[in-house]
Amino acid sequence: MNPILLIARKESGEVLGSGRGLGWLTLLAAVLSVLSLLLVSDTELSLLDNAQVVYIVMGTITALGGLLAVVLGSDAWAGERERGSLIPLLLTPVEITDIVLGKMGAQGIAWGSAYLVALPYLWAVGSSGQNLAQAVLYLGLFGTPLVLGFGFYALGLSVRLGSVRAALLASLTTLLLAASPLLLGPSLRQSAVGKIFDAVNPFSAVLNTFDSVVVDSQPFTLQLGRLAVVVAWLVVAAWFGRASARSVKL
Amino acid sequence: MKRALFLLAFAAFLVTSGAVDAASGLSIALVPDKSNPTAPEMGNWLKFNSIIKNTGDTPLAGLVVWISLVQVDSGHEQPVDLEDWSAHKALVIPNLNPGQAIGADWAMRLIQAGDYRVVLSATERHAATLYVSPFADFHVRRKPTVESGRILPVAVGMPLLLAGFAAWRMRRGR
Repeated sequence: MNPILLIARKESGEVLGSGRGLGWLTLLAAVLSVLSLLLVSDTELSLLDNAQVVYIVMGTITALGGLLAVVLGSDAWAGERERGSLIPLLLTPVEITDIVLGKMGAQGIAWGSAYLVALPYLWAVGSSGQNLAQAVLYLGLFGTPLVLGFGFYALGLSVRLGSVRAALLASLTTLLLAASPLLLGPSLRQSAVGKIFDAVNPFSAVLNTFDSVVVDSQPFTLQLGRLAVVVAWLVVAAWFGRASARSVKL
Repeated sequence: MKRALFLLAFAAFLVTSGAVDAASGLSIALVPDKSNPTAPEMGNWLKFNSIIKNTGDTPLAGLVVWISLVQVDSGHEQPVDLEDWSAHKALVIPNLNPGQAIGADWAMRLIQAGDYRVVLSATERHAATLYVSPFADFHVRRKPTVESGRILPVAVGMPLLLAGFAAWRMRRGR
């Protein structure tokens, strides 16, 4: 069996296969349930308000996906070290790149599970509004590279800092900064600094795309620049994760 | 006597203004399209047909016609920003000769429930007054955009389903 698939299967089995591992998925569903139930209190929304609700749910799912990625990424290398299983893993006849890709494969499976759990919520809040199909499509298209990018980034930090706690703190802080547009509306990001931050921040690119597509019904061609930012983030983060892992010496 | 003279002068002004309007007159007809739903609700599209005709005897240049929407629900009277309702908000007619008529359709997506009136306004480069169409009134029925009947089963069912699956896996793992 391909070593990447083997590692991905083993790692994802720890996250999804066990009862304890499934706890986070249940908690994710509970968070989305609370959010959805809060929305039930106001059924007299205009079509655009409804689109805003879908946008909020999409942003929340993406942030939870980012959280999942930084936790798994932080544990991916330093966790192995702290549990004493890193040296045996590195002594196996598997390329470092394959180990990294295997661990990221597990993250991809975990994000895919979170995405699948989120779909009924998107349907529940958005099926009588507008652009639900676009919401489902763009959440996958833009959310996936963003989340995996954070996974790679956290994995790289995990290698370089050598401690789960330190890597988790650093990557969570980065995620919090990147996800700040969830809390700060567009009007608060109109300063020169805010505009520069929006232009380079992949999380902003994803949120602005969700807003553009779901609320403003704008076409894919207008999202190409933002897609480029998110893909660039994935590429740079993947390079960082891989280069960090390859720098390890036994 | 002074009052009578003032009234006379005012009447003369009105007559003169009317004459100017008649000389460079414009008529705007606005009617709902026949294909419009009879009881429209949020999310539906409505179309309005208009005919802009130069009824005067001088050409009109640089004519701008635009659509306005006003909500007239009691207690909610307000002009509505058309940004989200319609992408076609104005029409520019470079030149309209006497007797010439131009037809234009105005489509809008119904975003919010309520009672509305739509009106076309027009002005041209040298006009002293605003030309307006008759009102077209319509009512938009509310459509629930967040349905508790749909959210509740998902919000309660999903965590229970996953928790049950996790418990089953834990029991099998022992």
